[in-house]
Amino acid sequence: MFCSKKKLLEVERIVKANDREYNEKFQYADNRIHTSKYNILTFLPINLFEQFQRVANAYFLFLLILQLIPEISSLTWFTTIVPLVLVITMTAVKDATDDYFRHKSDNQVNNRQSEVIIDSKLQNEKWMNVKVGDIVKLENNQFVAADLLLLSSSEPHGLCYIETAELDGETNLKVRHALSVTSELGADISRLARFDGIVVCEAPNNKLDKFMGVLSWKDSKHSLDNQKIILRGCILRNTSWCFGMVIFAGPDTKLMQNSGKTKFKRTSIDRLMNTLVLWIFGFLVCLGIILAIGNSIWENQVGGQFRTFLFWSEGEKSSVFSGFLTFWSYIIILNTVVPISLYVSVEVIRLGHSYFINWDRKMYYSGKATPAEARTTTLNEELGQIEYIFSDKTGTLTQNIMTFKKCSINGKIYGEVHDDVERKKEITKKKESVDFSVRSQAKGTFQLFDHSLMESIKLGDPQVHEFLRLLALCHTVMSEENNAGQLIYQVQSPDEGALVTAARNFGFIFKSRTPETITIEELGTLVTYQLLAFLDFNNIRKRMSVIVRNPAGQIKLYSKGADTILFEKLHPSNEGLLSLTSDHLSEFAGEGLRTLAIAYRELDDKYFQEWHKMLEDANAAMDKRDERISGLYEEIESDLMLLGATAIEDKLQEGVIETVTSLSLANIKIWILTGDKQETAINIGYACNMLTDDMNDVFVISGNTAVEVREELRKAKENLFGQNRSFSNGHVVSENKQQLELDSVVEETITGDYALVINGHSLAHALESDVKKDLLELACLCKTVVCCRVTPLQKAQVVELVKKHRNAVTLAIGDGANDVSMIKSAHIGVGISGQEGLQAVLASDYSFAQFRYLQRLLLVHGRWSYFRMCKFLCYFFYKNFAFTLVHFWFGFFCGFSAQTVYDQWFITLFNIVYTSLPVLAMGIFDQDVSDQNSMDCPQLYEPGQLNLLFNKRKFFICVAHGIYTSLVLFFIPFGAFYNMVGEDGQHVADYQSFAVTMATSLVIVVSVQIALDTSYWTVINHVFIWGSIATYFSILFAMHSNGIYEVFPNQFPFVGNAWHSLNQKCIWLIILLTTVASVIPVVTFRFLKMHLYPSLSDQIRWWQKAQKKAKPTSRRRPQTRRSSSRRSGYSFAHQEGYGELITSGKNMRVKNPPPTSGLEKTLYNSTSWIENLCKKTTDTVNSFSQDKAVKL
Amino acid sequence: MSRNVLNVPEVCLVSYRTNMEKEFQHHLSRMPENSAIKQQKLPAHRLHFSNQAIFTIFFATGAFCFCIGIILLLSAWKVQEIEINYTNICEDCAKMRENALNFDKQCTCSIPFNLQKTMKGDVYMYYKLYGFYQNLYRYVLSRSHNQLMGKDVRDVKDCAPFKVTSNKIPIAPCGAIANSMFNDTIILSYIRSTSEHIQVPMLKTGLTWWTDKYVKFQNPSFRNLSDHFVGTEKPPYWQEPIYELDTSDPGNNGFLNDDFIVWMRTAAFPTFKKLYRRLYRVKYFSDGLPAGNYTFDISYNFPVTKFQGEKAVILSTLTWNGGSSIFLGLAYTVTGVFLWMSSFALMAIQGKMRKKKLSHRR
Repeated sequence: MFCSKKKLLEVERIVKANDREYNEKFQYADNRIHTSKYNILTFLPINLFEQFQRVANAYFLFLLILQLIPEISSLTWFTTIVPLVLVITMTAVKDATDDYFRHKSDNQVNNRQSEVIIDSKLQNEKWMNVKVGDIVKLENNQFVAADLLLLSSSEPHGLCYIETAELDGETNLKVRHALSVTSELGADISRLARFDGIVVCEAPNNKLDKFMGVLSWKDSKHSLDNQKIILRGCILRNTSWCFGMVIFAGPDTKLMQNSGKTKFKRTSIDRLMNTLVLWIFGFLVCLGIILAIGNSIWENQVGGQFRTFLFWSEGEKSSVFSGFLTFWSYIIILNTVVPISLYVSVEVIRLGHSYFINWDRKMYYSGKATPAEARTTTLNEELGQIEYIFSDKTGTLTQNIMTFKKCSINGKIYGEVHDDVERKKEITKKKESVDFSVRSQAKGTFQLFDHSLMESIKLGDPQVHEFLRLLALCHTVMSEENNAGQLIYQVQSPDEGALVTAARNFGFIFKSRTPETITIEELGTLVTYQLLAFLDFNNIRKRMSVIVRNPAGQIKLYSKGADTILFEKLHPSNEGLLSLTSDHLSEFAGEGLRTLAIAYRELDDKYFQEWHKMLEDANAAMDKRDERISGLYEEIESDLMLLGATAIEDKLQEGVIETVTSLSLANIKIWILTGDKQETAINIGYACNMLTDDMNDVFVISGNTAVEVREELRKAKENLFGQNRSFSNGHVVSENKQQLELDSVVEETITGDYALVINGHSLAHALESDVKKDLLELACLCKTVVCCRVTPLQKAQVVELVKKHRNAVTLAIGDGANDVSMIKSAHIGVGISGQEGLQAVLASDYSFAQFRYLQRLLLVHGRWSYFRMCKFLCYFFYKNFAFTLVHFWFGFFCGFSAQTVYDQWFITLFNIVYTSLPVLAMGIFDQDVSDQNSMDCPQLYEPGQLNLLFNKRKFFICVAHGIYTSLVLFFIPFGAFYNMVGEDGQHVADYQSFAVTMATSLVIVVSVQIALDTSYWTVINHVFIWGSIATYFSILFAMHSNGIYEVFPNQFPFVGNAWHSLNQKCIWLIILLTTVASVIPVVTFRFLKMHLYPSLSDQIRWWQKAQKKAKPTSRRRPQTRRSSSRRSGYSFAHQEGYGELITSGKNMRVKNPPPTSGLEKTLYNSTSWIENLCKKTTDTVNSFSQDKAVKL
Repeated sequence: MSRNVLNVPEVCLVSYRTNMEKEFQHHLSRMPENSAIKQQKLPAHRLHFSNQAIFTIFFATGAFCFCIGIILLLSAWKVQEIEINYTNICEDCAKMRENALNFDKQCTCSIPFNLQKTMKGDVYMYYKLYGFYQNLYRYVLSRSHNQLMGKDVRDVKDCAPFKVTSNKIPIAPCGAIANSMFNDTIILSYIRSTSEHIQVPMLKTGLTWWTDKYVKFQNPSFRNLSDHFVGTEKPPYWQEPIYELDTSDPGNNGFLNDDFIVWMRTAAFPTFKKLYRRLYRVKYFSDGLPAGNYTFDISYNFPVTKFQGEKAVILSTLTWNGGSSIFLGLAYTVTGVFLWMSSFALMAIQGKMRKKKLSHRR
C-alpha cells in the first residue's frame, strides 16, 4: 500500500554504493517481501472488518440488531447469532491458516542467504536484510536476490550469463556485461568495499528490457543500460561468481513490479449467487410489504376490536405504525430465504472438492513426487466452465529438452524405426537403443534408435562424416571440462546443444575452441580446424556459417539454417538431393520436429582471400557497414552443396497431444502464448496437434506497424468469410460434419478450421483499442491461436481481452515467472509445479506437475464440482423457500402478527443441523457419471460452459418448486387441522401441535427430496440422510422432554408436544400426504424431462445400463498425424551476437588442458585476462603440434 | 532434473541427485493415499429408476392413497356431531356482555335441541370459537411458565400487558392468554319428559395432555391453595380468583384446572374448538347420549360479538383416528386419483417416445 504512495513521489532513484546511511535518507524499500495480510494483533479487527464488508454478513448483523429491538423482534436472538458466529469463526480460521502459509512462504524467501559486503567483509546475510546500495556476491546457479548493477564477474570483460526463464520464459542464456571500469574491481573485496559510485537512475517500473541510469564514480560518468543490470528472479549460469550493487530491492524489483496485483477471484456462480441474493432481498421486502399492508388492514378491521379484549387499550398504536413494525418483524422471520448457511456450505463444498484434487492419485506425478494442489479453495466449480485455455509453451507444453531425433544425410533418413509392417512406430524406451558405451565421451542420456547411422559411420561414408563434422564445427557452443574431467558444453541455444551432443555421440566430439581455432575429435583423432570467418546468425538470415581451414589446408564453408533460405543458395547440381531432402524435411515437419538444413561449400584459397579482404574493408567502412557485410555473406554462402537436414524434437510433455485433443472435443479453445519465436511456436502448435495440415488456413499476423496489422487482420477476416462462403457446399463441410454435430451451438456459422498466429510486436498494435475488436473476433473464430514473442504483460492483456469481451471463463496455465501476470488475470490460474522456479505456482490457483493433468482437472474435477455445486444451489434455494414461505401463508391466518409457524429452535437448527449434512454430502460426493465416462466423453463438459445447470431460469424453477412445496406443506395440515380432534377427544389443533406437524413434514419432505436428488448413494449419503432424520426426531423429543422444560421452562415451552402429536395417527397421515403431494409432481416433471429432453449424462447412464456387461471403452487414441505437410519445420532458438563474441574471444576463458592432465583445473577463478590470453596461445600451439603429429 | 541438462555442472547434478534421493524418501508420504474416499471411488449405488419402477411406484402410491382416502371418508361419515352456534340465540346476553359495566351480572340462556339418533360411545362436548385469534404473536408469548409451574407465583415478567394490576400487585395467572380465558359454563340437560330434566353427567377432568397436567402446570405445593396466592391478584377479566376455579375438586383447582389448561394450550387458527366436557357414561348414558330432547343451559360470560366472533357448542363422537375430518379423506382420494391419472399419462408419453425412437432407428 505505502510503497505505491512512495512510487508517486519517486521520480528518480539515487543510490550510493556501500553507504547505507546515505541511502536511508530516501527510504527505499528493503528486500523484504510481504504477501501476507495480517499479523497476530491486527488479525481480529482487520478480519472482522473484512468479513462484515461482505453483504451477506453485514445483512445478518443487521438482522441481529433488528432482533434486539423488542418491538419488532419476532425471533429470539439465538436464531441468528448461532449461525452467524459459526460462519464468522469458520471463515476466520480459514483466513488465518491461509495467511499463516503466506507468512511461511514469505519467510522462506526472505530468509534465503546471500553474501553481502558489510564492513569491508563478505558476510552472509538474509535476503530481507539486503539494502539498496549493498554489494552482493552471487555464485553460479544462484537466484538473484534483487535488481543489481553488475560490477564484476569471474568471466573476462565482466561478462556474466543469466537465465531469465523466470522473468520472460526465454530459456537461452543472456549475456550481461559490466562496465569496464567496474569489472576491474574483480573479486577484490577491499576494493569493492571501497567502491562508492553513485547511481542515478529511473524510478522502479515494470519494464523488463529497459533501464536508464548513470553511474558517477571517480569524477567520471558512465551511462548504464539494460545490459548492465541483473534482475531479481534470474539465475546466474556459467559464471562462477559475480558482484553486483543493489539498485532496486524487494517490492521495487522489476520482478515484483511485474507480478501484478493479486486480484480477489470470484467464480461466475458467486456473482450469479450475489445477484440472486439481491433479488431475494427484493422479494423479501415485497413479502414484507404485503404482510405489513395486510397487518395494517387487519389491525384496522379486526385487531382494533381485539385490543380491549386481548391486549391493552392503547389508542396511540395506530394500524399504520403496527404495519411498519410488522414489516421489520417479517423481515426477520423470512430472512431464512437467504440462508446464512448457504455461504458456509458453499465454502465447505469447495473445500471438499479442493481436497479431492489434492488427493487424486491420477494427478500425482511420481517423477517429481508432486501431487496436484488446489491452492485456492474457492474456485472449483469454475473449473467446470472453462471456455478458453491460455497456455505457455516452454515447460508447460514442452519439457524444454531438445533431442536429436532424426536426420537426413544425402537423401537417406536415419533415426527411424521400421518394424515388420513397415510402419513408423513411436519410439519407446523399451526398444533397444544404439550402444554408445563404446565411446567414452558419449553422453549417457542420449538415445538414437537407428543402427544404420552407426554402420554408415563405421563404413566411412564421406557424406555422413562431413555431416557430423559440420555439426561439430558450426555452432557457438563453448566447451569446458569440469573437475571430474568430463566435457561440459555451455550452450546458448538448446538446439545447438542437441546437435553438438549428437555429433559427439557419433564420434565427432567438439573439444575446445579459441577465437581462431576449433578442435574436434573425429572418431578418436584430434583435429584442429582454423576458424577463418564466422558468419553469424540473425533472424533475417536465418542461417549461420563458419569458414574453416582443415589441417590439410582445404577451406570449407559450413552452413546450417532454415531450409527455405538454404535451398535457394544451393548449387544447381543438388536438385535431385534437394527434392529428396525437402520431402524428408516435410516429413519431419509433419511430425512436429524442428528442422535445420545443412550444407557446405568448398572454397578455393584465392577466392577466400579476396573475399576476406573485402570483408575486412567492409568492417572498417564507416557507412553502410552492415549492408556491405551482409552482401558479402550472401555472396560467399552460395553454390552450397546440400548435405542433409537435422530434426530435433522439442520434447513435449507427456500426454500433451491427448490432452489437447480431448480438451478441444470438450469445446475448449486453447491459445498458446509464448515468449518464443514464431517458428518455434508454430512448430509446437503442429507437434501437439493444435495446428494441423487439415486446417483451411493459418493466418500469420506479423506486421510491425498499426496500419500493417490492421490490414493483415482485415485480410485474414475477408479470407475467412470468403473461404467460408465458397466452402459452404464443398467437401470441407462433410469433413467437419462430425465436429459440427458435436458442438450443437457453433459460435458463428463458420465451417472449417482456421488458426491464427500473431507476433508480439503485432499484438502490441492489435491490442490498441480500435483494432482490439477485430483481433478478438478473428481469434475467436479460429480453432487455434498462437501468440509468440509476447511479453508477460501482453499475456495478461490477451487474457483480459478475452475475459472482458467474450464473457467467457478463462484458464491460464504456465510454469515460469513470465506467466504470473497471465495466471493472475485469468479466472483460473494453473501453475506447473516441480520446476525450478516457484513464482508461477505461488501465483496460481491450482498446480500440478504435468500439463496432461489439466484434462482430469477440468473434465473430471471441474465438471463434477460444477455439477455438484449447481445441484447443491438448486436444492438449497428450494429448501429454504419451502422452509420459509410457510410463514407467509400463515401470516394470513394469524392476523399478520409475525407469528412463526415453527418452534424457534427448529428455525435455528433447521439449516445448520437438520438438513445441512445430506445436502453437503450430495454437494461433495455426488457423481452423475463416473470419472472414466467424463474423460471418455469430453462433450459432457459443455453444460458447464453454457451455464446450463444453474442459471436464472433454473433458479426460478427451484423457487417455484420451493413455493409449491411450501403451499402443500402449509395448506394440507391447515385443512386437516381445521376441524380436528385427537384420538382421545382432546384437541390437537393447537399451535404447538401444528408447529410440530409442519416441522416434521418439512424435514421429511426435504429429506425425501434430497434422496431423490442424490444420484450417487455412498455410505456417507445414507448415514447423513437417515442420520439427519434420526437427529431431527431425537432433538425434537429431547427438547420436548420434561427434564429440559423443568430446567429452562421459558426456552422450551413445547413440553410433551412431540410425544402427544406424533402419537396421533392422523398427524402421520398428514405428514404422509404432504410428502406424497410435494414429491410426486417433481418426479413426474423429471420423468417427462428425461424422456422428452434427455441430457447427455442421462443418455450415458442409459447407455451404461444397457452395456453393463460390455467392456469399458478404450481411451481415445491421438489422431495419427499426417506427414503430407509442405511447410518448413525450421525453428532455431538462437540469438545474434554470439559469433562476434566467439571471434573476439571475449567469452573465452582459459581452455582446459587435455583430460590426461586434469589436475590444474582450479585456476580460472582468479586468472586475469592477460593470463587467459597467454594460456590460449600456448594451447593453440600445443594443439597444432598435436595435430601435426597425428597427421604425420 | 534441471531445465538445461546440458549446462549444469556436475556439482549441481550431484546436488540434484541427493535431492532426488531425498525426494524419493518423501515420495511415499507425498503420494496421496489410495483410499476409496480420497479417490472418490466409494462403493455406491447410483440412483436411477427404470420406467417400470416409476410406474410401479406411481400405481402403488396411487392405490394406497385412494384406499386411505376412502377409509378416512367412511370413518368421517360415521362420526356423529351436533354443533349449535349460540351467538345469535343468546343475543340478549351478548349485548349485555358488550357493556363492560355489566361484568358481574349473570346472564343465562338455554338452548333446546333434539337429538334424533343416539350418539353411541364416548361423547365429547366442545366449545368452538370463530374469529378468535389465539395465535397472535404477542398473545401467545404473554404467559409465565415459571408461574404456571408453580415455581414462583410472582414471576410475571413475560406477561405484558397483564403483568400487574394498577396497584402493582402481580396477577396470577398473568398474561393475555389467561386473562382471556373462556368462562362460559355449559350444562347439558336431557329432557326425558317435560317434567324430568336430567343433567347429563359430565367429567370435568381428563381433558388435558398428561404432560400439561403433570409437568407444565403445577400448583404451588401448599396445602391451602389460597394461601399461596396471597399477594397476587386475579386477572382483570376474571370473576373469581384462580384458586376458586373448582373448589369441589382440589386436583382440578388452581393451575391444575383442566378448563384452564385447555385454554392455555393456544389454538393454531382463529377458528378452533376446545374440549369442554366428557360424557360420564352412567345410567341412561352408559351407551352414549340417547336420542331425545336436550337443552344447553349456558351462563353467558365470554363476549365474542365485540370482535364479530361467534361461539358454538359441539357434541361429537370419535372414530379410530379422532374427530371427523373430511378434508384429509378427500385430499387422499384426490391424490390417489391424480396419481393414477398421471401414471397413465406418463405411460402414454413414454410409449410414444419409444415408438418415435424405434422409427428413428429404422
